[in-house]
Amino acid sequence: MPEGILCNKTPIKTEEQLKLTLADKGGKQYYEELNNLDVDSDKLWASIQATMKSRTKTWLEICAHCGLCAESCFLYQVNGRVPEQVPSYKIQSTLGVMVKKKGKVDNAFMQMCMETAWAKCTCCNRCGMYCPHGIDMGVMFSYLRGLLYSQGFVPWELKIGAGMHRVYRAQMDVTTEDWVETCEWMAEENEEEWPGLEIPIDKEDADIMYTCNAREPKHYPEDVAEAAILFHVAGENWTVPSEGWEQTSLSMFAGDWECCKDNVLNVYSAIERLRPKRAIGTECGHAHRATVIEGPYWAGREDGQPPVPYIHYVEWLAEALRTGKLKIDPAKRIKEPVTLQDSCNYVRNQGLKNVTREILSYIVEPGYFVEMSPSKEHNYCCGGGGGFNGIGMYRAQRNMALRKKMEQILATGCKLVIAPCHNCWDAIRDLEEEYKIGIRWSFLKPLVIGMLDVPEHLRPKDEGEDE
Amino acid sequence: MFKKILLATSGAPSTFGAARVAFDMGKRYGAEVLVLNVMGVPTKAYSQVVNDVRTGEEVEVDEEYRAWVEEELKNTFEKQIESVEYSRIILTTGLPHREILRAARENDADLIVMGASSGDSSVYRKGYPGSTLQRVAKAARCPVMTVHRETASYWGGFGNIVFATDFSKQAESAFKFALATARELDTDLTILHALDISGKVLDQNEIEDRIIAARERIRTAYDLDGFKNCDVEVWEGVPYVEIVKMARERSADLIVMAHHSHELDPEKARIGSTMEQVILRAGCPVVSVSKPDKV
Ligand code: SF4
Ligand code: SF4
Ligand code: SF4
Repeated sequence: MPEGILCNKTPIKTEEQLKLTLADKGGKQYYEELNNLDVDSDKLWASIQATMKSRTKTWLEICAHCGLCAESCFLYQVNGRVPEQVPSYKIQSTLGVMVKKKGKVDNAFMQMCMETAWAKCTCCNRCGMYCPHGIDMGVMFSYLRGLLYSQGFVPWELKIGAGMHRVYRAQMDVTTEDWVETCEWMAEENEEEWPGLEIPIDKEDADIMYTCNAREPKHYPEDVAEAAILFHVAGENWTVPSEGWEQTSLSMFAGDWECCKDNVLNVYSAIERLRPKRAIGTECGHAHRATVIEGPYWAGREDGQPPVPYIHYVEWLAEALRTGKLKIDPAKRIKEPVTLQDSCNYVRNQGLKNVTREILSYIVEPGYFVEMSPSKEHNYCCGGGGGFNGIGMYRAQRNMALRKKMEQILATGCKLVIAPCHNCWDAIRDLEEEYKIGIRWSFLKPLVIGMLDVPEHLRPKDEGEDE
Repeated sequence: MFKKILLATSGAPSTFGAARVAFDMGKRYGAEVLVLNVMGVPTKAYSQVVNDVRTGEEVEVDEEYRAWVEEELKNTFEKQIESVEYSRIILTTGLPHREILRAARENDADLIVMGASSGDSSVYRKGYPGSTLQRVAKAARCPVMTVHRETASYWGGFGNIVFATDFSKQAESAFKFALATARELDTDLTILHALDISGKVLDQNEIEDRIIAARERIRTAYDLDGFKNCDVEVWEGVPYVEIVKMARERSADLIVMAHHSHELDPEKARIGSTMEQVILRAGCPVVSVSKPDKV
């Protein structure tokens, strides 16, 4: 049973193994080893029998092969509408066959499944809305990813991503010390401009516990500062946990369920430790999915809910604007055509479509907001979801996938795209890099800060003198 | 005055002027020169791929690549590295302004020295408004020196420092730095206030009155603490033009200015405009000071 040194059925559990895998440039050795990786059919079949939900089984059986789902899949649309991109075909030819053959499949088959699961489906769940039976490939591909991961058939970057989550409990190598230090740094960097600004760490019984995405402390700490500024101006009693602050889950993209559970429990235990009234996550779609939508199930919570109400950033922002905790200076509103990227994860899957539009009603001059077509729960995936953005081997396919979003944006005629999701933000940035259509894109936080009507007592005392 | 000088460089010729000044100062003050190179800007989600700051090419940063970059830097600055007692190369990936600020903080740097375009490759600019310089100058705890071109890079044989004030709070810190430097290097100090009359219609009397008032203000606001070689000037016009003119007239070897801005959006942070215009046009290094911590 040739298990590779890097490519094998064992998740990355140590920093040493993580570094070793990282050092394999582009996953060269990893993918070579993948070619020799054996399939443990008995284990695969046992695991299918033990974990496959009856819903999935039913879905596989009742699919009428009517093809109504075809047009709903953006990947089908941008890839020349070939039959291989029809959602039902994609799942039947992979998970369907695997089940039929009772796990007796070979390496080549598993590699085909791997490519299908990570490069032909972003788990955007759009097809499920169009199938008369409600068959959702996003759900099934997520399940298939778990099976593939357990057999070691997973793209190199995601093996590493899940490894990061196992070793650091964060998607990047940000330790507790790094995180705490970054919070202190950001408070310090902005205290002059925002007198009294704090980033309270581990404050008990606060109204809000804030969680984020590890790339914020790693590369974009401004985002942490921006969250702090907005809570500060809104007068919120808030805190961040020193442990359990990372809300995202590359392990979910990878199909590493054990790690998903561990990570979400870590966040929940921060909630239990600090007893906030509620938790608020950053502007990230999949982070929300991981901690709020799927998390409770991973954690085995019977009520299917996180320990306290856990809302997405856009929900808090809309509330703060609605209640007047944050006030917008009408003169500073956006006065150019602007469009909005609806994230599948909290719009299609959690119905927050009106919340983001409510925010826009405050920050965009009436008449300037242009909907994408289709929009809201019918919106297409940005093209980079489900881990697609970060997988080097599938870059060409990912770039192709961006074309749908490009068409949609071009059709709006807007040069500014609001993208309150890290993954969407990345995809749109890459879209501009790849296709150069001349657009700008932004999270909500910096836009809102730029147009705040800041109460007198929160402004810096000495404005200096500008003659 | 300086124990640690952080030089931000891509290794490209546009930063040679900055490097020269940083090393000259390192030698003069016995300071450690930290050579910071931000190898790449992460752009591919969580993947290991970054865009090379200089070429825009996609590269994967691994040990081999690091070693190569380090070797390149060592070769590029070989003579200068030998000329100072302490120096160290720091390699990292990330967004240039953020990594420069991070390194300054981690190492408790006393001065950041950079080229006017350090980090501003096309790769980096995309999607991140505002220049690296504006962002660094705004948030740094220590003075930030910018050297726009190599001819503007001679630190030594000093005659004159021009300190341009707009009477802001930040200018007080800039003044402290200018005075300390003038003392240390035993040079003349010119305190200049450029009375901004661009776009304003003022009659000559009013201008005269304002000039007198500004002179008075400089005298009361800035305590020279016994320093003799100082003169006060108030010139009217467009501030950056007047500052550059003064620097030329005095053959200044250094211009010191305050950097302040309450605008969060760096694209709109127009204080950048005076400072950046001065940097572009000046024939000498320009130091901007925005915080009182390290002066
Ligand atoms: S979940 Fe999305 S990407 Fe996957 S098959 Fe369905 S529509 Fe296509
Ligand atoms: S629409 Fe539903 S039933 Fe029809 S092919 Fe697609 S998945 Fe099967
Ligand atoms: S990145 Fe955004 S649009 Fe794309 S799948 Fe995720 S949430 Fe959906």
